[in-house]
Amino acid sequence: MLLSAAFALLIAAEPVKPFEFKDGDRVAWIGGTLVEREQRYGHWETALIAANPDKNITFRNLGWSGDTVHAESRGRFDFNSPEKCFKQLVDQTLALKPTVIFVSYGTNESFEGKDGLPKFEKGLEKLLDALKPTSARVVLFSPLPFVKAAGLPNPRAPNANLSLYGDAIKAVATKRGIVFANLMHNLGDTESTDNGIHLTEVGYYAFAPFFADSLGQPRRDFSSEKFELLRKAVVAKNEQFFNKWRPQNETYLTGFRKHEQGKNAKEIAEFDPFISKVEEEIAKLRKELKK
Amino acid sequence: MRTYTLALLFALSPSLALAQPKAIVPDPDPELERKTFTVAPGFEVTLWAADPLLAKPIQMNFDPQGRLWVASSEIYPQIKPGEKANDKIIVLEDTKGAGRADKTTVFADGLLIPTGLEPGDGGVYVANSTEIVHLSASKPGGKADKKRVVLSGFGTEDTHHIIHTFRWGPDCRLYFNQSIYIHSHVETPTGVKRLNAGGIWRFNPDNTQLDIFARGWVNSWGHAFDKYGQSLATDGAGGEGINHVVPGGYYLTSQGPHAQRVLHGMNPGSPKFCGLEVISGRHFPDDWQGDVITNDFRGHRVCRFKLKEDGSTFAAREMTEVIKSNHPAFRPIDVKMGPDGALYIADWYNPIIQHGEVDFRDPRRDKTHGRIWRVTAKGRDLVKPPKLVDATVPELLEQLKAPEQWTRQQAKRVLKERGADKVLPELEKWLSDLDPTAADVDQHRLEGLWLHQGFDRDLVLLGKSAVIAKKAPLPEFTAAFIRIMATSTADKAVRQSFVEKALQSNNARVRLEAIRAVAKWDTADAATIALAALDKPMDRILDYALWLTIRELEPYWLPEFQAGKLTFGGDAKKLAFALNAIGNKDTIKPVLALIDGGKVPKENVQGLYLLLAQIGGPEELAKVLAHAGRESGSTIADRAELTQAVEDAIRTRKVPAPKLTTGLETLSTDKATVVRRPAMQIVGLWKLKELRVVVETLATTKAAIPADERGAALESLALFGDAEAKKLISKMCEAEQEDEVCRVAIIALASVDLPAAIDHAGRYVAYIKKADPELVDLFAAIINRKGGATALAKAIEGKKFQSADVAKIGLKAIRATGQPADDLTAALMRAGDLAAARKPPTEAEVKVLAADALTIGDAARGELVYRRKELQCIACHAYAGAGGLVGPDMTSIGASAQVDYLVDSLLLPHKAIKEGFDVTRVVTTDDKVLQGVKVREADGVLVLRTAEDKEITIPVKDIAERSKSTKSLMPEGITDQLTKQDFADLTRFLSELGKVGGNYAPSKARVVRRWQVIEPTQANLNLFRRARVSAAAEDGGAFTWSPAYSKVSGDLPLAEQPKFTVWNDTAAQTVLRFQLDVTTAGAAKLKFNAVAGLTVYVGNAPIEPKAETLLEFKSGVQTVTILIDRSKRTEDVRVELEDVEKSPARVSIVGGK
Repeated sequence: MLLSAAFALLIAAEPVKPFEFKDGDRVAWIGGTLVEREQRYGHWETALIAANPDKNITFRNLGWSGDTVHAESRGRFDFNSPEKCFKQLVDQTLALKPTVIFVSYGTNESFEGKDGLPKFEKGLEKLLDALKPTSARVVLFSPLPFVKAAGLPNPRAPNANLSLYGDAIKAVATKRGIVFANLMHNLGDTESTDNGIHLTEVGYYAFAPFFADSLGQPRRDFSSEKFELLRKAVVAKNEQFFNKWRPQNETYLTGFRKHEQGKNAKEIAEFDPFISKVEEEIAKLRKELKK
Repeated sequence: MRTYTLALLFALSPSLALAQPKAIVPDPDPELERKTFTVAPGFEVTLWAADPLLAKPIQMNFDPQGRLWVASSEIYPQIKPGEKANDKIIVLEDTKGAGRADKTTVFADGLLIPTGLEPGDGGVYVANSTEIVHLSASKPGGKADKKRVVLSGFGTEDTHHIIHTFRWGPDCRLYFNQSIYIHSHVETPTGVKRLNAGGIWRFNPDNTQLDIFARGWVNSWGHAFDKYGQSLATDGAGGEGINHVVPGGYYLTSQGPHAQRVLHGMNPGSPKFCGLEVISGRHFPDDWQGDVITNDFRGHRVCRFKLKEDGSTFAAREMTEVIKSNHPAFRPIDVKMGPDGALYIADWYNPIIQHGEVDFRDPRRDKTHGRIWRVTAKGRDLVKPPKLVDATVPELLEQLKAPEQWTRQQAKRVLKERGADKVLPELEKWLSDLDPTAADVDQHRLEGLWLHQGFDRDLVLLGKSAVIAKKAPLPEFTAAFIRIMATSTADKAVRQSFVEKALQSNNARVRLEAIRAVAKWDTADAATIALAALDKPMDRILDYALWLTIRELEPYWLPEFQAGKLTFGGDAKKLAFALNAIGNKDTIKPVLALIDGGKVPKENVQGLYLLLAQIGGPEELAKVLAHAGRESGSTIADRAELTQAVEDAIRTRKVPAPKLTTGLETLSTDKATVVRRPAMQIVGLWKLKELRVVVETLATTKAAIPADERGAALESLALFGDAEAKKLISKMCEAEQEDEVCRVAIIALASVDLPAAIDHAGRYVAYIKKADPELVDLFAAIINRKGGATALAKAIEGKKFQSADVAKIGLKAIRATGQPADDLTAALMRAGDLAAARKPPTEAEVKVLAADALTIGDAARGELVYRRKELQCIACHAYAGAGGLVGPDMTSIGASAQVDYLVDSLLLPHKAIKEGFDVTRVVTTDDKVLQGVKVREADGVLVLRTAEDKEITIPVKDIAERSKSTKSLMPEGITDQLTKQDFADLTRFLSELGKVGGNYAPSKARVVRRWQVIEPTQANLNLFRRARVSAAAEDGGAFTWSPAYSKVSGDLPLAEQPKFTVWNDTAAQTVLRFQLDVTTAGAAKLKFNAVAGLTVYVGNAPIEPKAETLLEFKSGVQTVTILIDRSKRTEDVRVELEDVEKSPARVSIVGGK
């Protein structure tokens, strides 16, 4: 019911050339809250795995709430230094040795309106340049539109800005000859969001087909039991990975008080076997989907 | 080994009987714990809930049904690899009304260290690491099966800092806090909200509106609202006691655009506090109403403070504890009033607190226990818990009149959740039907207005009906009303008229709210409106509030002002305030116009010149100096402040020399050193040829002048940097000069000709016999320059020092700079024949030393060790707010720290550095290395507090390299010279500090602890001879004073104080002074332990000291000077401040360095 309502809203866009995943691809996914929260629901990641059941594709979600192309959310104690913030994002991405990078920015920057556009474009270009050493295939995602929500003003004005930033992202993609994935679809369902700007669990589920579409991936039966098992494994993997790459108590583990309790940082590497184990589970379940 | 230490601790503790002698942790029997409680007279404590009903409570809050919701974590401090997050939300109920929980329900699990919770909106809001989730159950009474992420992006850099202290405000908004290490980035429909340090957030769940209610604090683990909606907060690390929160205000350790000025708590020198609640309701006696309760979780105490009005803010005074205990695991961390009018205390129950200092996986960490204690008044009826959830809307509205804040607040929550459609029509009727003559009608109206605010509806109707029904509402009501009105959707004209009227109120709190109310209006005229506050008396908080408002509104009013559209009514005082507040270089012209216009009130003139020094270019600085040089009517302090400001401006902003200077010559020969010194630096910084002779003369004079004075002249000369200057300075470094002269000359030479300075230094340190502590500056002057240490090592190679102590001072200098200088270290060891470098102690050695402290250590002797001049403990570590700020306050260290931790900290200061005391190391573009604890960073400058407790200002653009040092500012090896007995005594003393029931327990007595004393220097004696000894009481900055500190008992040992005789055959004298901060004028008492030999002045007026001396104080900082005839007194000096009943006076003792 929810899904069909969402389908009805799908605007016939120009046909999307399928993004070609390769066996063994490692996808690093960077962006703000939209990306960060996806990891706890896993619908989109699972949709892509399900669309390529014979390929081993691993995802590492590096989303961070409030982030921008300037990596403003990542500086921690160095928040005052734009260079150090930016370096964090680049280092975090490079460390994963990705073969594919999903770049999902523009929403937070769009509050600056038209005046902020040049700064955003420059920042995006700088980021893409800095990620070049990976030789990864890069996908630039547009923002999602805001929708009406109780207690909030009409999203018309912010959406005009979001379109503007979406267009700018598309232009950068075109210029560089890299893939642009358009997410500017209005789900229009009140359950898909409760603050007008972030998807709820239901929202991620409902949006999954459009997300697959944006990359030209075939839609699968997202309600099947097999899919659900796979998604649970994806979420479990994401939780272990999150606890590894963004552990609590970083001040003591790796930060400026590591001389006190830094010995506990040895536990960080101990997450890896757990991540590998779930990843094996994901591979098994993925193959099940083909049957 | 650690268990052994702990067992020893018990062996010496009076609670021995409670602990199994060989146990690792105390016997967890709650009754044994309860028996350790000393309870306030007239009260009793009973166990309301204990493990296994709950474990490890972090925060608790009641729901309207009277159920207690508890956030609990067994994962804290850190999840293990592969572990599934499974922390819980527990609901406790007393279903039988027996005064004890009999039912526990796990409402939710699968959480990661939930540090805060608040029931509401059909479920519960929970802090879940990076996010706030709302959990709810589809079936009433069931377990949570729905989880909604409400906000996300909160930092997790430290698990006792992550978001906490959830509270519904009286305005139906959700307030929650984060601590200092947390960096949060939260997306909301109006953009990303970022907070990169501690602070209090305010959240409206109805529209995802999020804003920062106040900034700062280290661990703001307490926040409560009084009955009129004023916010109070406590800090679990800051040590300033109860804070009165000004909306939007910046407090200790703030980050943000206006962080250069911060507000402070009301009780500096307090131990660290956790949780906060305001006493309200019929179960508690009248004299407890409105008192605030917080927990000294380190010292095992539940504390009570009484608040009194003090201008626009409050004064908070500590009363007898609600509970004090010596049970090592009693950790009161949250406190809440309950539905029955009793007070509930969450006891985290753990022998180990926090995880910065003790290993995450330390086996002594308790993971299974937890208690809720209930405090009741003996012989007083409990309140019948109100029935709220099933009540009708009119019944609930009547509950808004309840005497218990608990009931009013919960009734409001139920009404809010019934929805605007059902409630608003009834609410409006209820408000207009209120009897304006009823007692407490203001309170009732306020509750109604807050509920109305919760629905976010237009407030216009209130303007005509209920609000103005009563002619003269209580000022507390008006203050709260202004806050509600200012942010409402009411018409701007309506809001403005209320604010303008409020600014003319005779009540300072009302004016405070009005000043802050307009800060968010984002218009130019809001600044004009706010500045009307200057037409009425100001106090410190009002001054801050207006400063902040004007700064926040700068983007709106400054362009208008520059365009000539805004004039502040031509009022020079208002304009001066506004320009001073923003300190913006674009305002030089109007500042000049104000000064030249001559219409500014006299008291603002100094401020304007100071501003000009801060923002002006060469000609403006010349103008400031010309003004300061016109001595007529200006005080030494004023001249010193302006001259120093000019020096700072030249150093930090690199302002070049003006075409012409007048006044500087007068200043550089001023009678006060504090003026001369910066004046001479200016001469050098600007290379002023015409005044060079002044500094040259002083630098090279044969006369005996103080070394630091000559040093200043030499440094000034060095700034000229030419061959002639080098030659003159080099000459003063020659061996035939006095040792002191030579020392300051080498220091000066190091800045212009490092190799030559090192040559001289290599020779000098070898032959000098007397190891003055000031030698450390000479070493530092060389080591702090790139390559200096290595070159000095070469220069002293093969030499044997006359004094081994000189080599020790060199090592101290190396440690203080925090730089690796292995070659110099080795060279100094050889030159001084010092033993091989010390090795870090082994665990076994620490164990032995910790055991020694408890077996042979003597705390009284230890205090004397602590006070020794060569150790300098107090210079860095204050006790009860008196002393240096370089390291943490020691007031309750013994109650919180294990003995092995104390031993470790003495021997290896860097092993565990208290939060907020980490060291920033900076290399400047001219290769100087500086380090210190960051005080603030704002306006393009970084301010560090050095190991010498000096604040140094570094322009950010001069910083080439910046890092966090892993070293502590506390030098290593400081205790190396102590004997085994000394060390045991010192450790024992520290371990006793703050222990309840002991000789060093925290005291509520307001004793003078921080003194200043006149040293018998030649300059001071000359001043006495020229005038008379009592001139010390009239000091305008001429005398130099040294700090002195009372013992923990409050006594200042007189025998330790310097004495002098002015003329031959006269009695030896000692001159002491201390300061009192009087925020509201009136009568107060000073109590002297004995008056023999004392002559006392308040300001320059003599008073007659008596055992109890009643005094009338004017407002402002008052200095009390005491002359002591040492022939008539040998007794120590103790002065205590006491309130006089019914006196309006608000007086506190000035602490610090």
